[in-house]
Amino acid sequence: MAGFQTVEAFHPAEGTLELLPFRFERIEKSYLVSNMVGDFIRLSGDELERIVELRMRPGDGLYEKAYAAHLIGGVNQKAKRQILAFRLRSRLAFLRETTPLHIFVVTLRCEHSCPYCQVSRQSTDRSRFDMSEETARRALDVAFESPSARIKIEFQGGEPLLNFPLISTIISLAKSKAAAVNKKVDFVIASNLALLDDTILAFCKENDVLLSTSLDGPADLHNKNRPRPGGNSHELATAGIRRAQAVLGPERVGALMTTTEASLDRVEEIVDEYLRLNLDGIFLRPLSPYGFAIKTKAFRKYGAADWLGFYERGLRYVLEINRRGTHFPEFYATLILKRMLTDRPIGYVDLRSPAGIGLGALVYNYDGKVFASDEGRMLAEMGDRTFELGHVTDSYRSLLLSDKLIGLVDASLTQCAPECSDCVFEAHCGADPVYHHATQADPVGIKPLSEFCARQKGVMRLLLDLLENSPQDAAILRRWGGM
Amino acid sequence: MDVGTYVFIEFPAAVQSLDALQAAAYRLIGAATCQIDKTGDRWVCKLTPVSGSKEAPDTAALKTRFLDLVTDENLRQQIAHRTEGVRNVILSLAFGSLAGSSND
Repeated sequence: MAGFQTVEAFHPAEGTLELLPFRFERIEKSYLVSNMVGDFIRLSGDELERIVELRMRPGDGLYEKAYAAHLIGGVNQKAKRQILAFRLRSRLAFLRETTPLHIFVVTLRCEHSCPYCQVSRQSTDRSRFDMSEETARRALDVAFESPSARIKIEFQGGEPLLNFPLISTIISLAKSKAAAVNKKVDFVIASNLALLDDTILAFCKENDVLLSTSLDGPADLHNKNRPRPGGNSHELATAGIRRAQAVLGPERVGALMTTTEASLDRVEEIVDEYLRLNLDGIFLRPLSPYGFAIKTKAFRKYGAADWLGFYERGLRYVLEINRRGTHFPEFYATLILKRMLTDRPIGYVDLRSPAGIGLGALVYNYDGKVFASDEGRMLAEMGDRTFELGHVTDSYRSLLLSDKLIGLVDASLTQCAPECSDCVFEAHCGADPVYHHATQADPVGIKPLSEFCARQKGVMRLLLDLLENSPQDAAILRRWGGM
Repeated sequence: MDVGTYVFIEFPAAVQSLDALQAAAYRLIGAATCQIDKTGDRWVCKLTPVSGSKEAPDTAALKTRFLDLVTDENLRQQIAHRTEGVRNVILSLAFGSLAGSSND
């Protein structure tokens, strides 16, 4: 008589299980474990030990847990390896689109005098600090040599609108070039919006230009952080945001905030200001250690723990707003959640390994020098040329394959760096060689001393805690992450 | 053994790898410095808390933390050693010479 075999018949034979690569971190009395593609699972010490020793049997619960989490597989089970390989390849597929971002510093002049300015703006001498058309044309040649099918050209400064005629020329030239080589090109102007007028807005509408601005919070905080003659930076920025929303559409204007010491106790007010202006979310960003932020010692005024406290309060407040029915994401969390909850290739230049320097972005300075990142040119304004790759007269290929860039990318790989290579959060983190060079004079950096590392781990621990222990917040976070 | 503000911890060299001790010492940077010497058949780790550091625990806590770190590093080494082969296969399937053989 035909019948079912016993349960034992389906058990793997002795010696047919194998351990798969994974990372772990001890958290009090338990362990946070992540597999090769960054899926998390919490285990007790006993469970971890049994998995490493392969002391499990089907049906005991731990076998199923470890198997589902890709911590174990069958010795000859090709499918398991293929799944991990496909997922890994998908996660790093951003590497196929080399240098999608091209930043044109069309002028270093600015009418603001922000003490935390990271680009060391200048206020005089138009001829000395504006990009020439010849430089812009050469920079465009380099940008269009990049193999990406879709590139983004971002205009920065100083205040780029002080050299609006050149922006207009570059966009016109770029559109012609894009049509000729069948590439897509997007444009962004990063501006304080103080000089925004109807002509510029009409131009932006006609050419699908996105506007990105700085908004640090309510008027007194914003104006303290961002002084300009007349003390009306906030008034001009908010008026600019509203006009741009009306003309271009609400989704065509975004804002970024920078956390200063004065922001630390005011995160709710900052979030409220973004809501009041109908902005589509907020990016709670720490101050970066470049330019005037170092010269004026603004960078050293708070540490990673202070910022994490600010961030957690802000995130919880933003989640409360979402629980009340308003879709309003925090973009830093969103970025990390996409990495944690999906295998989509997220090539955000500051949070990837191999690092985004050169491979993710190139910066064409007003004087024709080419840098591996925006922060790299900020360092150059302080006299440190470590991330200067060459000149717009060089070819894209020679810039990207320069020994300098390859050396910096190679040295900073988190997949190999001390502590990073074993870090349970590695799959969702990134190398930041510019930050570590700026703070520790070393592109790898000593991670136990790195505030970048402390912030990343702190944010990911917070997100995991919310995902595991707060069902309502978890549902919101999963939506942000695109699940 | 605690001597003044130092903590000495010994490990038998025959069963404890230097690599794991060094990795644990690295993770302690900021809280304490760790000097590793070999005396006879033992590794001797001298831990010195970093003065003024918010990270620096008291000597008993420092000793516990270091022992935990060494235990974890030993486990990491064991996992790395046992999974090196399959890790290389998966990386080859994803990016290397086996990437085109996904139907095998």
